[in-house]
Amino acid sequence: MSALATLEENIPSLRRYAWSLVRNANDADDLVQDCLLRALDRLDTVREEGQLRPWLFTIMHNLHVNRWRRAKIRAEVPAEDADAEISMPAPQPASTEMREVLRGLRGLPVDQRQVILLVAVEGFEYSEVAEMLGIPIGTVMSRLSRARDRLRDFVEGRTQPVLRRVK
Amino acid sequence: MKENNEEKNEGPVTDNDLHAYVDGFLDAGRRPLVERHLAAHPETAARVAAWEAVSASLREATSWKAREPIPARLDLGRLLAARRARRWQPVRVAAGILLALAVGAGGGWMARGPSLPGGITSVAMEASAVHQAFAANVVASAPGTTAQAQLTSWLIAKTGHKVAPPDLSRSGFRLVSAQLVATMQGPACMYLYDGPQGLRITLFMRPMEKRDMSAPMRPMHGKDTVGYVWARNGLGYGLVASEPLETLHTLANQIRSEMGASI
Repeated sequence: MSALATLEENIPSLRRYAWSLVRNANDADDLVQDCLLRALDRLDTVREEGQLRPWLFTIMHNLHVNRWRRAKIRAEVPAEDADAEISMPAPQPASTEMREVLRGLRGLPVDQRQVILLVAVEGFEYSEVAEMLGIPIGTVMSRLSRARDRLRDFVEGRTQPVLRRVK
Repeated sequence: MKENNEEKNEGPVTDNDLHAYVDGFLDAGRRPLVERHLAAHPETAARVAAWEAVSASLREATSWKAREPIPARLDLGRLLAARRARRWQPVRVAAGILLALAVGAGGGWMARGPSLPGGITSVAMEASAVHQAFAANVVASAPGTTAQAQLTSWLIAKTGHKVAPPDLSRSGFRLVSAQLVATMQGPACMYLYDGPQGLRITLFMRPMEKRDMSAPMRPMHGKDTVGYVWARNGLGYGLVASEPLETLHTLANQIRSEMGASI
């Protein structure tokens, strides 16, 4: 398979990751678009086909970090907001559980959100995630523990009166 | 850290083991140990079960996004075209400034000030720019016969010339891409060839506008390109490589004699 075909094959999961990471569909596709443009510029630097997927997510991560930093500098908007829009298209059989887990996800600090998405949804190995995010593997594991425990608390507490969790 | 099989199978069960268990990365040798630990510690088992449930709902809750039709603005074909247009921009604005193309004798368009060059000089600039944009970025794959046939028939209709891509296999070059590209002087045709040692050469062709309907072959030197340009029977040609190639002149001669005869 050509690198271009592998790139194309990864667009759906890049969109899924971007959408899960940022708050709205438009911003997410902006991120994917930038990521694809950058990838097209450097596609010839990828030597092995197996490296392409982690490489794409690394690009996405770097772009996201840059934007997030800029946004943080531009306005002192709280970076985390569990009440942010959680849009799901109408035809989606959005069970309460799924809505709650998404709400919980958006309540996580961004570094925990990245790790749990890359591991649990995108299926990357811990060492790949460490490399993508540029952090030691031990940090990946501790963020994963915190993310999982917090989501568990959130989902299991969902029948109780909803209280915003404060970090 | 000490590592041996005994310890691998008997060390204390850590969070890392539990994650690996949930994510399917647990070493087979350690699995029975983790399972025994879970059986003996209901609280840990509940934690692990909740982690698994959370992972499953996350996957389920996000899967629709991966199944959604991909919006047009993320279409790779469109992005490639947009990127090409972007790369053309410098050529356009820099017409009088930076492209130090020495075409033939006498300084060419540089002497004429910052107006757009014409004739064979434009062909040289365009061929050079197209080569730079494509040679480093196009992923090698033989062009579909449809694309090739469409290009060929378009050029024949436009120019009345035979323009099927020349066979350069005797010199070790294989056609990997055939595309229609935009230039300031209208659409043009580009054939990209892969050669020995990863060398790539571009054959660029477009109908000439008014000037230089025929022009003798001349060497050209772009910023990072070298090659030959000529025009014959109203069609301009550029054969471009990224570095000086001994065989390039021979190839250019071969192409000139094979192509451009009126139908």
